Order: sequence, then structure tokens, then C-alpha cells
Amino acid sequence: MSSATELAAAAGSTDPRVGLRAVLALRRLLDRLERVQVDNARRQGWSWQEIADALEVSKQGVHKKHAGRPAVNGTWEE
Amino acid sequence: MFERFTQRARAVVVHARDEADRLHHPRVGTEHLLLALLHDGQSLAATVLRDAGVRADDLRARIEQEAGPGSRALDEADAAALREIGIDLAAVVARVEESFGPGALNDPPPAPRRWPWGRRYDGSRFSPRAKKVLELALREAVRLRHNYVGTEHILLGLLREGNGLAALALTRAGLDLADLRRRVLDAVRAGARPAA
Repeated sequence: MSSATELAAAAGSTDPRVGLRAVLALRRLLDRLERVQVDNARRQGWSWQEIADALEVSKQGVHKKHAGRPAVNGTWEE
Repeated sequence: MFERFTQRARAVVVHARDEADRLHHPRVGTEHLLLALLHDGQSLAATVLRDAGVRADDLRARIEQEAGPGSRALDEADAAALREIGIDLAAVVARVEESFGPGALNDPPPAPRRWPWGRRYDGSRFSPRAKKVLELALREAVRLRHNYVGTEHILLGLLREGNGLAALALTRAGLDLADLRRRVLDAVRAGARPAA
């Protein structure tokens, strides 16, 4: 585990490997968070349109990405 | 076609499926068969591979690199990378799990493929190449006049097929497929071990 100062330095690292790896990890985290939240919204009865609006993407896009895959927790059918 | 497969050879087929699941790959390819062969260190195939200098973890890394990690779970490297930009992954996971239950951020298991008539046809998960390898394993056994198909025959099938990700990973690891084949046949002839 790095010290706080090392962390602060790394956050602004100009080494592309460090920066890009962080982007990759962030994307992975984002994908999973999106799945969890979309599933939650569906369970609460949100329509694809409402979810798309909240995410500021097209309804087609969100439907294509999330409909039909297994739900993370609990189930919903589409 | 699995009637003649030994217990160990059947376990390889099952483990190949597990390897594909673990990597979140939808299909079971030759690379998963290869990883599965290394699973049981006592098998003849694993022994030959080990003696030829194959290291399971090295091979696994190569295969993951070639095949792509699918959508694998966030790991320690991701946590470290997020730490670099000031995000505490453990804290994020804890908050999400508090609301949505343990493992909420894990990848869901791949959906079993359902056919219209409601039956699951798992054979479809094997890629054409992987199926070919299993057919070749059977053929290798017949050729050697063995009345069973063991892990050594699966390995011979993999080497004979020669074009899958498994063969690529082995080649990239610096191994010669023809030499590996000789090693398997030597081991079979030596009968160093009972049917594996």
C-alpha cells in the first residue's frame, strides 16, 4: 500500500501505463455499477425509456445492452 | 461419444467448461481444454506438459491475454489502478453490497442457453475446433489401439488440431508441437503410469 503522498503523485501521473490502467479499471467498475443500477431500476418498474433518459443515452442503446442478459440480483423478464 | 472417456478425461471436459465460465467466455475453446488438462496434475497429459516445461500459471496468463478476459470480475490490479486515481474500490463495493447484497458487483454467471423446446443443449458451448479436438482424441486412441480415451489422447488431439488458441499459446510459450507430440507418445509407450 502506498503512502498518501505517493498516491497523490500517482493520481496526476504522466505515465500513460498508470493512467490508462486506471481508465480500464474505472470502465470495468462503471460497467458493473451500470448493470446493478439498471437491474434495480427494472425491478422497481422503470421503463427502458426512463432508464435511458436518466443515463442520457438512447432507449435502443440501453435496451440492446441490458435486455436479455441475466439479472445481477433477482430477476426481471423482457 | 464420451462412453470411452476415462474418469480423468471426462473431468477435463467438465473443467474446460468451468474454465470458460471463469473467464466469462461464452464458448469452450481449445484453450479451455488445455487449461483443463493442467488442472489434474496427476494426469498423464499434465505430467508430459510439466516435464516439457509448461507452467500452468504462465500458460493461463498467455491464454487470458490472447483470448481477452471476457468481462471478468474486478481484481486486485483494478483495485490498485483505482487507488491511483483516488477511488477506494473496497469502499465502493461495500456501499453497493450494503444496498444490493453480497456479490452485487460480481459478474453474473453466463446464462444457460435455452432452446425453444426448453432443453439445454450444452454441447453447443464447445467451439467447432474444440469439438474437433475431442473427435481427434478418439481417433488418436483408436490409432494407438487403446480402448479408452484418456487425457493423453485429448492432448494429442489438441496438438494434432494445431490451429486453436491452445496451440498458439503453447507455441508462444516456446514449445514445439511436434516435440510435445513425441513426448506424449513416449510417455504412453513407457507406460509410466496406468491409464490416465
